[in-house]
Amino acid sequence: MYKKKLVSTTVVLGLMMSTLLACNAGSGGNGGTTGEGTTPSPSNEGNTSGGATTEAEGPLKLSLYYADNATLPFKEDWLIVQEWEKRYNVDLSFEVIPVADYATKVSLALNTGTNVPDVILYQTTKGENASLALNGAIVPISDYADWTPNFNARVEEFGLQEQIAALELKDGKRYYLPSLFDKPFYDGGLILREDLLQKYGLPAPKTFDDLYAVLKKFKEENPDSYPLTILAGPRVLYRMTMPSYGVSVGKNGASGTNTLSWDYEKQEYFPGAISDQYKQYMTYLAKLYKEGLLDPEMAEPIDGDKWAQKMATGKSFASYAYYDQIGGIEASATEEGFNLQMYPPLQGPAGAHHQPKSSTGSGILFPKKTAERDDFERIVRTIDEMFFSEEGAKLASSGVEGVTYTMDGDKIKYADDLTSSADGIYKSMQLKYGFGADPLQLVWVNAREMTKYDENYLQINATVAAMDEAIQAIPPSPMFDDMTAEEAGSLQTPLADTFEIWADAFLTGKKDLNADWDQYVTEMKNLQIEKFAQLYNDNMKK
Amino acid sequence: MVQQRKLHSMTFVDLVINFIMILVVLICIVPFIYMLAMSLSSPSAIVNNQVSLWPVGFNVQAYIQIFTYPNFFRAYGNTLYYTVAGTLIALFMTTLFAYALSKSFLKGQRIVMKLVVFSMFFSGGLIPTYLLISNLHLTGTAWAMLLPFAINQFNLIILINFFRAVPSEIEEAAIIDGLDYFGILRQIIVPLSTPALATIGLYTAVFFWNDWFNGLIYLNTSQYPVMLFLRNIVNGTTMVGDGAGSADKSTIAMSIKSAVIITSTLPIIILYPLLQRFFVAGLIVGSVKG
Repeated sequence: MYKKKLVSTTVVLGLMMSTLLACNAGSGGNGGTTGEGTTPSPSNEGNTSGGATTEAEGPLKLSLYYADNATLPFKEDWLIVQEWEKRYNVDLSFEVIPVADYATKVSLALNTGTNVPDVILYQTTKGENASLALNGAIVPISDYADWTPNFNARVEEFGLQEQIAALELKDGKRYYLPSLFDKPFYDGGLILREDLLQKYGLPAPKTFDDLYAVLKKFKEENPDSYPLTILAGPRVLYRMTMPSYGVSVGKNGASGTNTLSWDYEKQEYFPGAISDQYKQYMTYLAKLYKEGLLDPEMAEPIDGDKWAQKMATGKSFASYAYYDQIGGIEASATEEGFNLQMYPPLQGPAGAHHQPKSSTGSGILFPKKTAERDDFERIVRTIDEMFFSEEGAKLASSGVEGVTYTMDGDKIKYADDLTSSADGIYKSMQLKYGFGADPLQLVWVNAREMTKYDENYLQINATVAAMDEAIQAIPPSPMFDDMTAEEAGSLQTPLADTFEIWADAFLTGKKDLNADWDQYVTEMKNLQIEKFAQLYNDNMKK
Repeated sequence: MVQQRKLHSMTFVDLVINFIMILVVLICIVPFIYMLAMSLSSPSAIVNNQVSLWPVGFNVQAYIQIFTYPNFFRAYGNTLYYTVAGTLIALFMTTLFAYALSKSFLKGQRIVMKLVVFSMFFSGGLIPTYLLISNLHLTGTAWAMLLPFAINQFNLIILINFFRAVPSEIEEAAIIDGLDYFGILRQIIVPLSTPALATIGLYTAVFFWNDWFNGLIYLNTSQYPVMLFLRNIVNGTTMVGDGAGSADKSTIAMSIKSAVIITSTLPIIILYPLLQRFFVAGLIVGSVKG
């Protein structure tokens, strides 16, 4: 009996060991292949493979990962795909992946190196991709700058050299071709019932004190309402208003640190979560909350539908949200004269600022396997031309002349089926033809995009563009190696948790901002918020 | 006569139990009725909070919109195929495996049993599994959906216990009458085990019906199951405001989300009551120790 047991245990143990070993061998082998294939340097290949599109060659076959948004579903017969295939001699096969699960699929493909496409759209080298890049899973595209003349030209034209350099990883290389914006858009902000402002004889708010007065009046007239509501949890509100107070903390913080903020003057991080600016900000919000001006449901995530419901039925009159969303509510509202308007950022103690935005966005990355293809140079050159050339950029944004638009002098005139559509030009063009789809358009020229919106939106954007630094740049990320990233992560989690708990308590009045503030600061200091800030500043690129 | 007495003998406790059961049933059913009402209502009625259990401003626009999504019907067909084929394969494989394992006199049975239990608690993890499937050249084929999940350890154990409960005298008699083990399995054991097989079949069918993750990682766009597709509609836009990308700003109407939930769950809900009568027998007998 005893013997029998021993045999079975040995077999089970043996199997366990062999499974473990097999796993190791698998990953080891994988690492080996990544190591041994040296990326061909452009100088080696030189001019052998020639330019981007040679007519004599057959169409360039490319497989691509596409992040699909259910509101704007990808269609294989989109005009943009047809035009690309015609103009650039390519044969594109898209793998359409739901955007919610895009990261998972990309991560698996890059981690295992099997079944990878030639090109991955709509990605950055943030997070996991950074270590994958440093471990050789992604092509360091900055090494092939000679092959991306159009990209380089756009960067220069928009003056984005610094922002592009900021995308380099620790080894001084950049691993993707980001999308480029000449000027960040003001696409969301304070949204208010303009008809009520007029009815109550109130001027449009310019400062946060004005906003308080407006909300107060709304509340007086409608005692059972909560004038200011939020969309998708308080983060949109925080993100869009905090910068006017000089901080940007919490889950929404532009830096992603949750508790640190970026000092734009000194160009360094500081512990924003325990700063006087933050205290001042919370004092303002706590006042709104206490007086019933702020939606008490704000701790729960208020989704789009519920938000629209509150706005349309007059439970709330003001919110921070996106311009696109106004139309739907106005169409559903039953009240006479219902009119929502978006306003420029409000003046706070640190000036009038909107949420910080980057002039670069998600773009294209090439898995390592693509560099092993003989026609790699042709791939890069073709991609560069498709997405970043003047012609390619115009195609992706405005479509095909004669189909989606006609030129009236130097003014662009969109086709009737687009201008008359209830969805608006921008959305209907994307739905129908694919032009302007986020993963496919990588050059965004503000003036050109504005032609797709109404007069009102144009006006607001012009006002914001004329303001001084209304939209600041997203603070730079530090260059952590794996060890420091780990350390930063283990400092960040307890800090962020504590911060969230206190933020909620301060807002709802469970804790008093004057009486309990010191206790909060001590707690955050015990959790080493200062060391955390130091860690960030020490690892900034010099 | 007898029935009348039964009615009269309904005690107070019976009343309470009945009342509670009706409540439970309502708790299960009301959300679905609500979803159905939402999916058939006009958007403005939903925004104005007028919809409760009956559609307001009846329209089928939401359904038209999902049905006109590119590839919707193909994806639905894929799911039906995965569910039917997957369930049949799973039942076949599980039955064969379980029958062998139910014979404790079989050499090595204990070790194999231990392996089954071991693999129930410890799996290779995502990346090794992915590498295995792709090295077997299953990625991009429907087999990637069907084969790796053909045998579920939990279902296997239920079935083993069920088979063990079949009196061995029946089998002995069959052997004397000249049947071999395959014959016994086919002609005696399987017909006797329909409740257990129906139960496991339903479990498996529900699994294949709901499975979206394996479709996502192993398959190409044209092979996606409908669940992945619907998940994208319901989930893909809950990221509103999380990212700063303009795509995140569009939201999907409540009516469409509801319609999606209805279309994706209805078939399996219809299947349930049809198989339900097997349930009690299948599960209870399966859990009795042999």
